[in-house]
Amino acid sequence: MANLPPTQYNRPPPSPNFRPMQNTEPNQPIQRGPSPYRPQPPGPGGASPNQRPVTDPRQQISPLGRPYTPPGPPNSQTRPPPPGVSPSPPLPASFRPQPPPSNVPPSGAAPVNFSQGIASQIRPPMSPGYRPVQIQPSTPGHLPSYPVQQTSGSGYQVAQSNSASPPPTESPVSPTGNRATSPPVGTHKSKRLYPKQINEAYTETNTYQTFTPAAASNITGQQPLHPQHQQPQYFTPAGDQNYTSMAPSVPSPYNQQYTQPQQSPMTALTNQFSNMGVAGPSQAHLISVNLIGMPPNVKDLDDPPPTINLPPNTSVTPSDKANCDPSYKRSTLNAIPATSSLLSKSRLPLGLIITPYRSLKEGDDPVPVITDTVIARCRRCRTYINPFVTFAEGGQKWRCNMCFLLNDVPPQFDWDIQTNQQVDRWKRAELNHGVVEFVAPTEYMVRPPQPPVYLFVIDVSYPAVQSGAVATAARTILESLDRIPNEENRTKIGFITVDTSLHFYSLNSSASAPQMLVVSDLEDVFLPQPDDLLVNLTESRSVVESLLRSLGDMFKDTQIVGNALGSALLAGFKLISPIGGKIVVLQSSLPNINPGALKPREDPKALGTPKESVLLQSADPFYKKFAVDCSRSQVCVDMFLLGSQYSDVATLGCCPRYTGGQTYFYPAFNAGRSEDALKFAHEFAEFLASPVALEAVMRVRASKGIRMTAFHGNFFVRQTDLLALPNVSRDHSYTIEVGIEENITTPTVCFQTALLHTTCFGERRIRVLTLALPVTNSISEVFTSADQIAITTLLANKAVERSLSSKLEDARDALTNKMIDILGVYKSALTGSQSGASPQLQICDNLKLLPLLSLGLLKHVGLRTSSQIPTDLRSYAMCLLTTMPSQLLIPYLHPRFYSLHNLSQEAGTYGSEGTIMPESLNLSSEKLERHGAYLLEDGQNIFIWIGRQVSPQLCIDLLDVRSYEEIRAGKVSLPQLDNAFSQRVNAIIGKTREMRRGVYYPHLYIVKEDGDPSLRLWFLSHIIEDRTDTVKSYHQWLAHLKDKVNSGSF
Amino acid sequence: MPSEALLFLFAVIMAAVLLFTMVFFTIMFSDLECDYINPIDLCNKLNQFVLPEMMAHAFLAFIFLINGSWIALTINAPLVAYNVNKVTSNKHMYDATEIFRTLGQHKKECFAKLGFYLISFFYYLYRMIVALINES
Repeated sequence: MANLPPTQYNRPPPSPNFRPMQNTEPNQPIQRGPSPYRPQPPGPGGASPNQRPVTDPRQQISPLGRPYTPPGPPNSQTRPPPPGVSPSPPLPASFRPQPPPSNVPPSGAAPVNFSQGIASQIRPPMSPGYRPVQIQPSTPGHLPSYPVQQTSGSGYQVAQSNSASPPPTESPVSPTGNRATSPPVGTHKSKRLYPKQINEAYTETNTYQTFTPAAASNITGQQPLHPQHQQPQYFTPAGDQNYTSMAPSVPSPYNQQYTQPQQSPMTALTNQFSNMGVAGPSQAHLISVNLIGMPPNVKDLDDPPPTINLPPNTSVTPSDKANCDPSYKRSTLNAIPATSSLLSKSRLPLGLIITPYRSLKEGDDPVPVITDTVIARCRRCRTYINPFVTFAEGGQKWRCNMCFLLNDVPPQFDWDIQTNQQVDRWKRAELNHGVVEFVAPTEYMVRPPQPPVYLFVIDVSYPAVQSGAVATAARTILESLDRIPNEENRTKIGFITVDTSLHFYSLNSSASAPQMLVVSDLEDVFLPQPDDLLVNLTESRSVVESLLRSLGDMFKDTQIVGNALGSALLAGFKLISPIGGKIVVLQSSLPNINPGALKPREDPKALGTPKESVLLQSADPFYKKFAVDCSRSQVCVDMFLLGSQYSDVATLGCCPRYTGGQTYFYPAFNAGRSEDALKFAHEFAEFLASPVALEAVMRVRASKGIRMTAFHGNFFVRQTDLLALPNVSRDHSYTIEVGIEENITTPTVCFQTALLHTTCFGERRIRVLTLALPVTNSISEVFTSADQIAITTLLANKAVERSLSSKLEDARDALTNKMIDILGVYKSALTGSQSGASPQLQICDNLKLLPLLSLGLLKHVGLRTSSQIPTDLRSYAMCLLTTMPSQLLIPYLHPRFYSLHNLSQEAGTYGSEGTIMPESLNLSSEKLERHGAYLLEDGQNIFIWIGRQVSPQLCIDLLDVRSYEEIRAGKVSLPQLDNAFSQRVNAIIGKTREMRRGVYYPHLYIVKEDGDPSLRLWFLSHIIEDRTDTVKSYHQWLAHLKDKVNSGSF
Repeated sequence: MPSEALLFLFAVIMAAVLLFTMVFFTIMFSDLECDYINPIDLCNKLNQFVLPEMMAHAFLAFIFLINGSWIALTINAPLVAYNVNKVTSNKHMYDATEIFRTLGQHKKECFAKLGFYLISFFYYLYRMIVALINES
């Protein structure tokens, strides 16, 4: 596999721009280490914004040693949008709502559905207005056939090749079952992307800091590091004495010699390793980087956050996992300012990004579980015992590291109840790991742990049936029944379908077929029968299956266009509120019957004006109020919006927003397109299969003097610092702003997040994430410890909040001002030049991508200035911005960009860490060559850009068409062809789909250079280093920041 | 008893009632801060009083209008306008989901109203006494 035949994708021979396809990367940035090819920073005036670095020496050195001439006149041809013309944002044509077919009868003349009598409009006195209807279970072989199946033959056949690059194992017929049934061929050993071994990584990262000559002079020596020899802690003050003498009489758990904790050779080694890493001299140094004139190095986006330099012996055990992994919790500043004045002086935002319930990919360590229900907590501040406490009085007491109260160590702390033996205290997981999970005893329950409950509220009105949403959803649920968390066979399931009346389904396990109960009284919602509407999945499995098989066909002739979502939600709430659980809403039309009726309020004239933020706010208080009620009863709402028209994501998204759920939006969904059906089915199935944490509350405790000031994410704030989460969705991120109220006198501070939840297998557990950070008095240390990824996440959350509470314009201004402040403070406080104009714009090395990321945020579809972005798309983007973990958010703001026509030899092949990805390029259209093919992905969409003069061989190999002209642009699925290039590209796409957290399955769009303008502009709107009509290019943005920094005083 | 004294007697009573409402609001907000009450209950409770309070104040201003007490009316007019603006833009109700974010604002507003009612209480008292003296 390693020696794939080098494929040549050259332009056809007559072309003058012949460029030999070489496997070594011609434009590999030579940033690491001193190199003669490193571009000199341009003169003090800065680069002109659109300057194309054709003079860049490294591009002129062709791999063959020949001078490489860039093809053609560089700017005019390769840059698709001429600088003046602006890719104003993007909408694929399909996003424009299509009018519904005109032969829809008025809703008043609601025809009888399901070939039964008219729903009784009047409630009879005894048997309230429902009507039992026997559903004929369709024969198993007669599944509602929907397009995924039909198109399966063409696009999605898995090519079982013996190549090492594993084709994505997406079987079309069962888009859901692939995980259970067919494990991926040659499984990607998905590398843990996010949490790298920080210490190890830093020994390397610090060696290739880019020094500009000017910046080098600005290195200010930082205070010397603490000697980083982490001695394991002994008990103080008595040293290592034998404590058996202190408790001689009783068979105490302490009759153990408290000596140095036994280090396994492995931990000793890692410890040594980390010592080496942290002690590397460069970390505490302030390395200034001049931003002007340098293209940002996008590869640094994958760098781990700055090291946390805790004083030695902060942790009681020498474990390298004592501090929480950044993928669970990361702070924007890895050194906390000692005073609030220092924090406000630095202008850096302080906050925590918490992803407590993140998914574990292959290779991730599972969270250690403490099963003996010995939970040591501080009496006063209720902090859980953690690796940063200290033991005193011979190990019988422990001192809380938040409030410094001495607490008794519980008697069973060193005792294994099961084996009745002494255990080594230092081996306890809560003293070794920053992330642990306690099994909670009954004191942590107000009721027995609830079972998982899934209630599906499915829109079966005409648009829903027409688009195929009902059939696709029913089939996906059917195929996912085995994957729904049901370890204990306690999971309950129920269905409500809704058009202008509510249909309940009695799913009694003894019945042979489900029974449909129609309620048409929408004003005063009631449940037609007390039980059998919500049934045990295992017991009633056959009835549920027969319902799902027939559901697709049941409404296929419906002509009803109305939808009473509000009533359905109220009914669903009545049904599951005694237990709690999940209401999964599959909505394809705008609800138009009270309560909760919505109007299509989108006004194209208001877009891009200050009035737009009204459209981004909820239109009807019903949904917010409903969400608050749900939150109280531990009910979570998840919205799948599949509307072909305006869906009012802003209003309907309120339900998930306050109940810990998530909104999923499929604009212009049509199951007739296999790509749409596949995406929805995949995401819906992943959603159903992902384990959830139920009836959860989350609280963040912090050391004295620190307070949580604001919370962002999907939850309801029940108390000043208590977040109520009826369900904790996988990979949801919560952002918490932190304020410093008093001066901090301790050398470290600690943040502890406790998530009390019920697992889906019925165990009450507390997940505790402990993060200890050093305290500093020096502003330079605050800057060098700042984490640009976490800061961007926090700023994104604040920007969304700002644009909802006031105006989009305000949010953008606030973001711009924040950047100016940060850069200005850096200039005045940490570089030599105190005031006055400076040709440079400097920032410390670990923040050097912050301007790029903030530009990405400004140009993001959620915040960009534009009068053409439908509010639904904006609202959905904002939902994603506030819930995505950093690992997903950063590619969403700054997409990954690869060139395909000159893949390096190993890219796309299968290496030791899974598929090897190509080098990511800067998001600048000067990278776009006319004979090139490029791949761009932001976690939600994948684009393949095909240049106009692409070589026909590439078309044949990649798309199975003979020439550029025959390429079909738009939403496609890439064919799996029997050649190395196709397999490698498919492997790269498979890897991008797999490597992000979350359930998302990106669409793939083929974009032709001269193809559909809207699609082209949509693609180009992701090229954020370029100028668009209203927003600056990266160089202009830097110049703007520099001017403001030079003119302001900080 | 002349009408003016009666009018201001009524105003004094109204101002006292409004004063107590504001004290009640303030106490509830500080309860919320100390986690004695959850935001849903708080909002349900307070929202019952929001409109009656505004209507009582508007009614008082209306009484001043028909009695021609121009000074008293001028004092009250800005608050009436402020309330009307709030109701028309549908921002008068407390929102349980936002309450923690807007708590500082609400408290500030409550204190301002408290002060205003206190001052107007003494002003009405003074006017009532003046009216009674004039009569005798």
